[in-house]
Amino acid sequence: MTSTKDVAAMPAGTTPPASPRVPTPRARRRKGFSDAVLPYLLLAPGVIAIGALLIWPTFQLVLISFRQLDLRELVTGQLVWVGIDNYTEVLGDPEFWQITVRTLVFMAAVVAATLLIALGVALLMKQLNPIVRMLLQVALVVAWATPAVATTTIFQWIFDQQYGILNKTLDLLGFEGFIGHSWFGDGPSTLTVIGLLITWQAVPFVAFSLYAGLIGVPREQYEAAGIDGAGPFQTFRAVSWPAIQPILTIVTFLSVIWDFRVFTQVWAVRQGGPDGESTTLPVYMYLKGIAGSHFGTAGAIAMIMLLVLVILLARYIQLLLRSKEVELK
Amino acid sequence: MKRWMKLAAGVVAISLATAGCAGSGGSGEAPNNANTPQQLSGELTVWLMTGSAPDTLTSALHKEFQDANPGVKIKYEIQQWNGIQQKLTTALASQTPPDVIELGNTQTPQFAAQGVLADLTDSVNDMNGSQWLKGLKDSATFDGKVYGMPFYAANREVLYRKDMFEQAGITTPPATRDELLAAIDKLKAKFGSDPDFQAMYVPGQNWYALLSFIFDEGGDIAKAEGRNFKATLNSPEAKAGLEFYKKLVDASGTKAPKDNDESNPQQAGIYGGGKVAMFIGTPNEVATAAKTDPTIKDKTGAFAIPGKTAGKSAPVFLGGSNLAIPVNSKNTAAAKAYLKMFSTQKYQTEIAKGGFVPGTSTDISALSSDPFASVMAKAAQNGRAVPSSPKWGEVEAGQNPLKDMMTAYITGAKSLDQATTDANAALDKLLAGS
Amino acid sequence: MRKSLPQRIALNTVGVVGAILFGFPTYWLITTAFKTPGEVLSPRYDLIPLSITFENFTSALSKPGFTTFLTNSLIVTLGAVVTALIAGVLAAVPLARMKFRGRKGFLFLVLVAQLAPIEALLIPLYLLMRDAGLLNQLPSLLLVYMALTLPFTCWMLYGFVNGIPIELEEAAMIDGCGRWGAFRRVTLPLLGPALVATSVFSFITAWNEFLFALVLMRDQDMQTIPVWLATFRTAFAVDWGGIMAASVIYAVPALIFFLIVQRKLVSGLTAGAVKG
Repeated sequence: MTSTKDVAAMPAGTTPPASPRVPTPRARRRKGFSDAVLPYLLLAPGVIAIGALLIWPTFQLVLISFRQLDLRELVTGQLVWVGIDNYTEVLGDPEFWQITVRTLVFMAAVVAATLLIALGVALLMKQLNPIVRMLLQVALVVAWATPAVATTTIFQWIFDQQYGILNKTLDLLGFEGFIGHSWFGDGPSTLTVIGLLITWQAVPFVAFSLYAGLIGVPREQYEAAGIDGAGPFQTFRAVSWPAIQPILTIVTFLSVIWDFRVFTQVWAVRQGGPDGESTTLPVYMYLKGIAGSHFGTAGAIAMIMLLVLVILLARYIQLLLRSKEVELK
Repeated sequence: MKRWMKLAAGVVAISLATAGCAGSGGSGEAPNNANTPQQLSGELTVWLMTGSAPDTLTSALHKEFQDANPGVKIKYEIQQWNGIQQKLTTALASQTPPDVIELGNTQTPQFAAQGVLADLTDSVNDMNGSQWLKGLKDSATFDGKVYGMPFYAANREVLYRKDMFEQAGITTPPATRDELLAAIDKLKAKFGSDPDFQAMYVPGQNWYALLSFIFDEGGDIAKAEGRNFKATLNSPEAKAGLEFYKKLVDASGTKAPKDNDESNPQQAGIYGGGKVAMFIGTPNEVATAAKTDPTIKDKTGAFAIPGKTAGKSAPVFLGGSNLAIPVNSKNTAAAKAYLKMFSTQKYQTEIAKGGFVPGTSTDISALSSDPFASVMAKAAQNGRAVPSSPKWGEVEAGQNPLKDMMTAYITGAKSLDQATTDANAALDKLLAGS
Repeated sequence: MRKSLPQRIALNTVGVVGAILFGFPTYWLITTAFKTPGEVLSPRYDLIPLSITFENFTSALSKPGFTTFLTNSLIVTLGAVVTALIAGVLAAVPLARMKFRGRKGFLFLVLVAQLAPIEALLIPLYLLMRDAGLLNQLPSLLLVYMALTLPFTCWMLYGFVNGIPIELEEAAMIDGCGRWGAFRRVTLPLLGPALVATSVFSFITAWNEFLFALVLMRDQDMQTIPVWLATFRTAFAVDWGGIMAASVIYAVPALIFFLIVQRKLVSGLTAGAVKG
């Protein structure tokens, strides 16, 4: 397998050495210019789209972060360079560091919860009978697909101190004193509810991705493991884990990014309150930058967030790239 | 590496060029003033917010305007509140911004201060300027120049159940704070056996209502110091106002959340449930309550928010909107003519019929037939706005220190002094801004 | 490895409980959509709805412009899904099957592009579209959504193509298929589950996006469904029953899309078996 891949991956134009197995497709085909250009042609749409609509605007944002870009400058097109003023303003704000730490802790908790629950759900889905599986899948998809404006409201109503079904149910079950209990009374409690909401919406995607990996494992491998007398845990380690490990790596990578940047839900629940105790970095960016149309400041905060993510994920990017490189060599 | 450097340099050059030529409007094209008759033409884009102007108003106005100016075609679009800041901001930066926009009165100073609105100072007289609602005019005035025309205002009053008051033996609506507290006691005595009953629904963070009590004590949120504002939440007057608010919460037996405002949950919906005798709200909340219970409208009455002394109700916070013209509008002349027509009595009456206080007319007779709006309109004459600071929009956009102050004091998490001092510092920080 | 009956019952019970837990907020949303305004926040215990009304749905559907919004959303969303999948597959195949200069660079690009601070890109992207004269045109929104989901799509599909043994394609080529034929007959069908996973992702991302739609599409007749949802809120009142009913309506196309493609997920089971 490795040898055929090597042959297939030979630079176009050279004659591949005779393979001991079958003649490789390359060997039979016309070679030359088109083969050398083909990969680039195929990649072109992706490169152009990503380059023009993600990378280029991000680069623009870097420039904006060194400018004063308020409404006035935006409308008139004036260029006012302020050097690193936007950065010193943000970094000099004692609140900023506290918010950064809070955001990191919140992100870590949500990512961990999402991955654990999703892994459990994915493994479970494989074992269920088709009807129960379908039921579970529909519940997951609907949780995923429902618009955030509705779900954030629904969560607030479920947790409403007076009329919420949760407090009413707790009261009914004999936990007295929950009527009138406020789940949004302080920062940690508020963030916990927000975390639950985000986890609820994030699990479906991760669970489906992992499930897609799991069902790619040929049934025979499980049967073989069964015959070898492996217990469920050994089977998981030997058969399931290799199949989902690369997917797990990428979804962890993505979850870290998304949960670090999540804004809608955090904002909708309490706008970062009470007393700013549930303010995370994206909320901070909105308050400091967007709300007052200070886009330079917003750009600087976005850049700092990007830097934090790069620091967090640099090792991950390395790992992801290396794992892919190894496979092709 | 070298190639990268070259590419980066090129990219910088291009981006500078594109950013530099952004929307070139704003300078030099101020048309002659609207007095000189001229043939107006083009497409006039009008953006009003949802729920602001009744359809009867806009359809009549647009017909008359287009008949009078056959060259002009009006493109009328109703905007949503969600994301409006971003939508307006970006639209103003486009080559073809809307020509007439509606701005909330707390949002106007920010836009005015940034120089993105056309100066209307010379046109005020054309637009019935002598009758403008003061609270709104103040919000549209920056550095002595006028950047917006008052559109409409609404303010709060006490909405109450006439039948419940009657049953509890309250014959005249409370006119002072003491009478209000006495009415609460009577209502509780009569209906208190029902565990769901609330004599008054008072959410912990209805800061609009709090403002009335602070104003009534002679206090304010902030005072102007030249161009800047200094928060005055720790003044004795503001403290007294907050103290009375807590008294109201404690006395009323309200089940409203102490850590949320009047729209979460929607107080009119709770009132519509039939277990609430009073709440502080705007007249159009009666319609919301009627969605829950259609019969409630006939059972509801209104009285002005009581003051400390009899015969003088508390001043109210005036909420509302202004109409403005973006500085880079391509149709400034037509837009001004449009505002001029808008300001005439005919259309101001339509605003009043819609249940709002009209912005450019003191004639509120159209409101007098409506029991809820008439009380509001009377109180509006004693209406005041929030500080017309360009930073105020940011205060309301997110973490309003007043709300945190209310919750902290009402729940007992902070003492009166602590709560007001902290809020004052937070507000000063926001008003000073960057 | 068959599980014993009690084991299966236990697992399926866990599955049902999980479905209930996950479904509860949705259940609550749906029942709210059927409640009268007075029942939405009621002091009574109403885990099972006490009354049912269709008023919220009729009023939601009769909001002006619903069909326009829906059409726009479908065009933009399906367009983004399809273009992202095409670009993704086009990129995944050479990445997994060919060796060329810049391959590693592209993979790096795909990973780094995920880090792009999307919310903060609103202004630069708006200026870009403005200067390109693409404001207020559905294709620009389609392109933005495609770009938002493309890095993930590329990476996912690349991983899956990589996992398909090249021998299968080679065997097909020996049987007389061209490179394209081998790809179409062998690789593409095996990519089923991956296409499903990524397309559901793209669909939901694009279907739910609000801010770019609001800002890039200025005119009302260019707006999408999330913007329609915002019309239930005015300065003084929010029609919560209407929002919940609208949200139910709103989630239906995503659900239909999933139900259509999920058969692929099941057939992926058998496809997976072919690999061994």
